[in-house]
Amino acid sequence: MSLLDNSTKSMTASLAKNRRTRVIAALMAVVGLFTFFVFGLGTQSGAHSSLSFNPLNVASAPISLGSLTMPVRWTDLVLGLIIIALAAEVFVRQPRRGVMARFGAVAILFLIALLFWAARSGGPSFVSSVNVTSILVGSSATVMVLVFGSLSGVMCERSGVVNIAIEGQFIGGAFLGSMIASETHNFFYAAIGGLFLGGLIGLVLAFFSLRYRSDQIIVGVVLVTMLGGLSSYLNLQVLTPFPNFNTGNLAPNLAIPGLSKIPILGPVFFNQSGFFYVMIILVAVVSFALFKTRYGLHVRAVGEHPRAAASVGIDVIRVRYVNVVLGGAIAGLGGVAFMATQGQFQVGYTSGYGYIALAALIFGRWRPSGAVVASIIFGLSVYLSYNLQTYQVPVSLYILQMFPYLITIAVVAGLIGRVRPPAADGQPYQRD
Amino acid sequence: MSDVATTQPQSLWDRYTSSSPIVVTVYALILGLAFGAIIIIVTTPAVLDAWRGLFSGWNAFPHALNITFNNVGAAYRSIFTGSVVDPQGFWHSLVTGKGWPNTLTPLSETLTYATPLVIVSVGVGIAFQTGLFNIGANGQAVIGGIAGAAFGSMVHMPTVLHLPLTLLAGIAGGMVCGAVPGLLKAYTGAHEVIVTLMFNYVTYAFLLFAVLSTPFQQPGQSNDIGRTMDPSAVLSPLFGTKTGLRVSYGVFVAAAVVLFAWWLLNRSSLGFDFRVTGANPSAARASGINARKVIVVAFLVSGGLAGLAGVVQVASTTHYVDGGFLIGSAGIGFTAITVALLGRNKPMGIVWAALLFAALGVGGRNMQATTGIPLDLATVIQSAIVLFVATPVLVKEIFRLRNVSTERLQISTTGWGS
Repeated sequence: MSLLDNSTKSMTASLAKNRRTRVIAALMAVVGLFTFFVFGLGTQSGAHSSLSFNPLNVASAPISLGSLTMPVRWTDLVLGLIIIALAAEVFVRQPRRGVMARFGAVAILFLIALLFWAARSGGPSFVSSVNVTSILVGSSATVMVLVFGSLSGVMCERSGVVNIAIEGQFIGGAFLGSMIASETHNFFYAAIGGLFLGGLIGLVLAFFSLRYRSDQIIVGVVLVTMLGGLSSYLNLQVLTPFPNFNTGNLAPNLAIPGLSKIPILGPVFFNQSGFFYVMIILVAVVSFALFKTRYGLHVRAVGEHPRAAASVGIDVIRVRYVNVVLGGAIAGLGGVAFMATQGQFQVGYTSGYGYIALAALIFGRWRPSGAVVASIIFGLSVYLSYNLQTYQVPVSLYILQMFPYLITIAVVAGLIGRVRPPAADGQPYQRD
Repeated sequence: MSDVATTQPQSLWDRYTSSSPIVVTVYALILGLAFGAIIIIVTTPAVLDAWRGLFSGWNAFPHALNITFNNVGAAYRSIFTGSVVDPQGFWHSLVTGKGWPNTLTPLSETLTYATPLVIVSVGVGIAFQTGLFNIGANGQAVIGGIAGAAFGSMVHMPTVLHLPLTLLAGIAGGMVCGAVPGLLKAYTGAHEVIVTLMFNYVTYAFLLFAVLSTPFQQPGQSNDIGRTMDPSAVLSPLFGTKTGLRVSYGVFVAAAVVLFAWWLLNRSSLGFDFRVTGANPSAARASGINARKVIVVAFLVSGGLAGLAGVVQVASTTHYVDGGFLIGSAGIGFTAITVALLGRNKPMGIVWAALLFAALGVGGRNMQATTGIPLDLATVIQSAIVLFVATPVLVKEIFRLRNVSTERLQISTTGWGS
């Protein structure tokens, strides 16, 4: 009987999965058809937009490339066809893995098609060129902050503590970072300060949720509120009367000799501030530590089944403390990195990036590599939705801004692939 | 010692040192205010200078203490006079019989602020009681405000119909917005915290889209400002427009909401299902409660109340929505989370908590005006209070309260691990 039950259950489950994959395929097909007909066939045949690859910053310019003029109509028709082909592939084959990755690819292709169409000659905007390199460089700053945030989330949630205070750690890091950087003109000290403050906020979260077993989500939300209020308070009370605490310096770019001269890739990957390189190293370190070391095994065991972990002698509370503090420090560093690309601290200028990072972490299935991919998709779409303003796109940019959030909701609801959090995520643990 | 002896404090001393919910809440308030005082002390140059005098000799000590008390006292006094009543003005009015509107303005402002706050917090509290964390109440209130403002400004009819229908439009807007996380949670298992968090941003974007798009934007405006509601759709001031007191008929709406919530939670079978589901989901399932239905309905109620709060906010104050509607420190939906926690999710508790937080918020403006201490201190104090309320064990340890049972004081939602 129970066997029968199980088999029917798995059958209905797989049916539901089929239906879900088909829904996604249909969604992708709609996007593809929209691209094909509106952006492709809707463009007059003579329209073109040119791609340029030389960054605006002349000082460390890579080897110069000419600009590429693309016929908008044909490009967008092809892009539309690719999206439709991807949709058809998902619909027919119903792959077990990688549906989310395909959906991400579709989202990016759609954005590219939109960009071409927006920048077409004879369109409403006077600009008919797209500077690929500066778009990539611009969005890399957003992506970097999201990566820091979602890595912080990975560290905490893999050990079973929900860190919803990422936004607060961003605020704290940006605030303290701006003060230190303004005083010392040295971003190394600012980074240390951000690490310290982020870790401290993580410690508060850990203290309340581990020692006193308060609700982690409530404590996290209250911490964000408190840090938001505190930063606004200190901004008026300290930074306004003493403006030399908040002069707003931008972190200098450290060009890697040789590599930074590569067109497109050079400015994006090899001519960035130190924070960018630190981020890349950190992704590798966190991945390695979580999945290839003994410590990582402990962390994942604690996040999945704390009782079992405790029974083999792992100190659950200690592992969680360590991870939440380390995760907080990473997010604090992310706050400094954000400040280093934006300059002067302003109240509320992290504008919810911490929550987008949380979304990226979920989209990336609680894995560092997934978090990076998700951060790239989200970061690109956030940056582009602001950037499209210059092209006077007829769709309100506010509608475009909804996309990262709607995609996240779809992901969490299991409409696009399935995500499974660590089993003990957010659950208080009591020693026996 | 018998059980009775431990659960029923006998002397006054016992009563003040045992950890009943009210005692813990009061101590949490004290801790929160103390935290605020510390923040004032370490960030006010005058106070720091006075303490620096200690390096030159002990006789600076009384002076430093004096300056500290003056500054902190002035801040908290201005919060009080700015939100409740100014004693001097009160006596003046009482003796001469003049200037009542002026004297009552702080109280009126506090009530104006508290009215939508009570409504939205009751909604959040009902969700909490069902074990659901509605962190998206702010977004639901925004949508409710837009829906109400749109109905109140773009449809024209007599007051008798217009006002109730405007309020209903707000409720409907909030319900639509609350239905999404409810349905997703019930049918796909999506965690409501993530969905509602994300939905907040979707609604902000929608707000900016709405106030900048042609049918809804204020005619002849290019700024982010919506149409003004008809006089027939607004909640007019209780004491007429001449007195300048802004407190509106919205207080009756709030009172009705509190009554409704009390009835729903304590007297209806649906409310019983809510509370059982919140207290013990598996017991609820075992006793045949339809978990899906409970989740969806709880979110509909919660979202509907948030939407009502949004429309009450618009209809009793500005009469239009703009791009900054309920954003930042005006985000009553976020304050509502803290209010609901402070009020322990009970309708009457929420009323007191909302009045307190409204007083802090309104008094904070007065504090900023008179002492120059930024009003954001109010937010900091509020969140500190709630941090302590959410951690009864810590309060118990700090004040060495007896009676170990803090289990029922602990507030909890569910994390997204399964």
